Amino acid sequence: MLDAIDKELLKAVADLESIPKGAYNIRKNGKLLSREVTANIDIESNEDGTGIDIIVKPGTVNESVHIPVILSQADLFDVVKNRFIIGEGSDVTIIAGCGIHCGSDKPEGHAGVHEFYIKKNAKVKYVEKHYATGPGTGRRTLNPVTKVFIEENGHAEMELTQLGGVDEARRINEATLGPNASLLITERVMTDGEQQAVSENKIILEGRDCKAELISRSVIKDNSKQDFYATLEAREKCYGHLECDAIVMGNGTNETVPALRSLHPDAELTHEAAIGKIANDQLMKLMSLGMDYDEAVNHIIRGFLK
Amino acid sequence: MLEIKDLKFSVQEIDQTGQEIEKEIIKGITYTFEQGKFYAITGPNGSGKTTFGKLIMGIYQPTGGKIIFEGKDITDLSITERARLGLAFSFQHPARFKGMTFRDLLAIAAGTDDEDALVKILNRVGLCSLDFLDKEVGAKLSGGEIKKVELATTIARNPKVAIYDEPDTGIDLWTIGPMVELLKKEQQEHNTTTIVVSHNEKFLEAADEVILIRDGQIAQTGPMATLLPLLQDLDFCSWKNICEGEYDVRCHR
Repeated sequence: MLDAIDKELLKAVADLESIPKGAYNIRKNGKLLSREVTANIDIESNEDGTGIDIIVKPGTVNESVHIPVILSQADLFDVVKNRFIIGEGSDVTIIAGCGIHCGSDKPEGHAGVHEFYIKKNAKVKYVEKHYATGPGTGRRTLNPVTKVFIEENGHAEMELTQLGGVDEARRINEATLGPNASLLITERVMTDGEQQAVSENKIILEGRDCKAELISRSVIKDNSKQDFYATLEAREKCYGHLECDAIVMGNGTNETVPALRSLHPDAELTHEAAIGKIANDQLMKLMSLGMDYDEAVNHIIRGFLK
Repeated sequence: MLEIKDLKFSVQEIDQTGQEIEKEIIKGITYTFEQGKFYAITGPNGSGKTTFGKLIMGIYQPTGGKIIFEGKDITDLSITERARLGLAFSFQHPARFKGMTFRDLLAIAAGTDDEDALVKILNRVGLCSLDFLDKEVGAKLSGGEIKKVELATTIARNPKVAIYDEPDTGIDLWTIGPMVELLKKEQQEHNTTTIVVSHNEKFLEAADEVILIRDGQIAQTGPMATLLPLLQDLDFCSWKNICEGEYDVRCHR
C-alpha cells in the first residue's frame, strides 16, 4: 500500500515509520489512502468532498491524530479543507504535514486549509511539517492556511515547519483568542536556491486576559527570499509578543514587518525583530571549541531552527 | 612550550585628516610561556593585552612575528587548528546562541554527549545544578551564568594552554575567589598552562608570573610582589585606565 517514496515522505513530515497508532487519515495524490478512527476521535469526509472534519469528543485526553498528505503525481495541485473540532476539556496532539516528491518537470503543489475550533478548556498541540524532494525540476508549491478560534481558557501550541525543497510557499496563519485563552505559534522556515516563502500572520486578541506569542525563525540561503508579516491586534486587556529572527546567508533577501495594534488601554504588546548574518562571536566560539567553519555554521543553524 | 617571537599586530585606521594610517597595537612582543605555569597579563585599557591573547588563539592574525607551540610554528594556523592542538580561549563577552543549550555547547567542547561525562565536568567546575544543563545559552542567562558556561566549556576542552580574557567580567565579588581557586586547581591538577588577562588583584596574586603590557609592549614581568611598586608607580588607581571604567571597583588602592 505504501511504496518506498510514500514511506520516505511520511517519515519526513510526520515521523512515521509505518501506519500510526490511534486516529489517522493519510491522503495521497488528492485521494484518501487510509483512515482509522477511535472511540473518541472521529474523522469524516466533509459534505462537499473537499476535505475532512476531525471531531474530538469533549474530555478526550492524551490521544493523537495523524493527518499527513503526500504527493507524487505530476501536474497535481491538491487543495484540501480540513476542520478540527476540539471538544471541551480535551488535550490532544495533531500531527499534520505535507510531503511532495517531484519526479518530473511538471509542477506539484498542495494547499491545506485548516480551521481549528478549540472549545472551552481544551488544549491542542499541532505539529505541521512541509517538505519536498525528488529528482524532478517541476515547481513545488505549498500554501498552507491555518485558522484558529480558541474559546475561553483554551490553549493551542502550533509548530509550523518548512525545512527544505519547497520552491514557493505562501503561508497564512490567523487566530482569534477568547477570554483567558493562550496561543503559541513557532514557525521555522529555511529556503535556499531561488526559493521564495511568504508568511502572513494575524492574531486577534479578543478575550480578556488572553495571551499570544508568535516566534518566527527564518534561514535564507543562496538567492532565496523570505518575507514575514505579522499583526497582533488587541481588543481587550491581554498580552501579546512577536519575535522574528532571520539569518541571511549568501544573497538571500528578507522583509520583516511586525505590527502591533492596540484597541484597548490595558493591552500589553511587544515585538522584537532582527535580520542579519550569523554572528561572528558565535562562529569564533564554536571554532575555538575545535569545529571548522562549516561545522560551526551548520550547528548554529540547526540550533536556531530547533 | 609556547614561544612568542617579535609578535606584531597593526590595523588600518583613518586619522583626523581622513588619511589612512597604520596603527600598531602590538609592537613586537617576545616571551616564552612555560608549561603548567599560571600567568596573568595586565595593563592599562587599550594597552593590547586582550589583542595579545587573541593573537595566540588565532582570533586575530599577526602582521609580524612567530608563535611556536610545542616546537611547531602555529602562526598561520586557524582558530580551529589551534583548538585541536590544545589551545583554548575563554571570551570576555561570551557569545549567546538562540536554540542552543549549555548541554549542546558542553558536548561540543568535551567531544561527547555522554551524560556521565558531562556531569563530571559540571562537578569539576563546581556547577551543581543539573537543570542548568538544559538552559538555553541565550539572552536570558545572567552575566554571571554565561561566564560560568564560558569557563566550563573552556575547561571541558582539557586544554594544554587555557587563555581567559577578563574572566571576572560580570561576576560578583564573592564569586571571584572560587573562580581563582578553580583556575589554580585546573593548572595544578591538569598541568594546564594558564594565561589570564585581568586587572583583578586576586588573579595577579595567584599568578606565578605577571606580565605588564603597556602600549603594545611588555613593560615588566615577574611575580606580583616584585611588580607591585611598578604597578603603584603607574598610578594604578588614578588607575582609571586600568580599572575598566567607573563600575569596576576591584582595583588596587
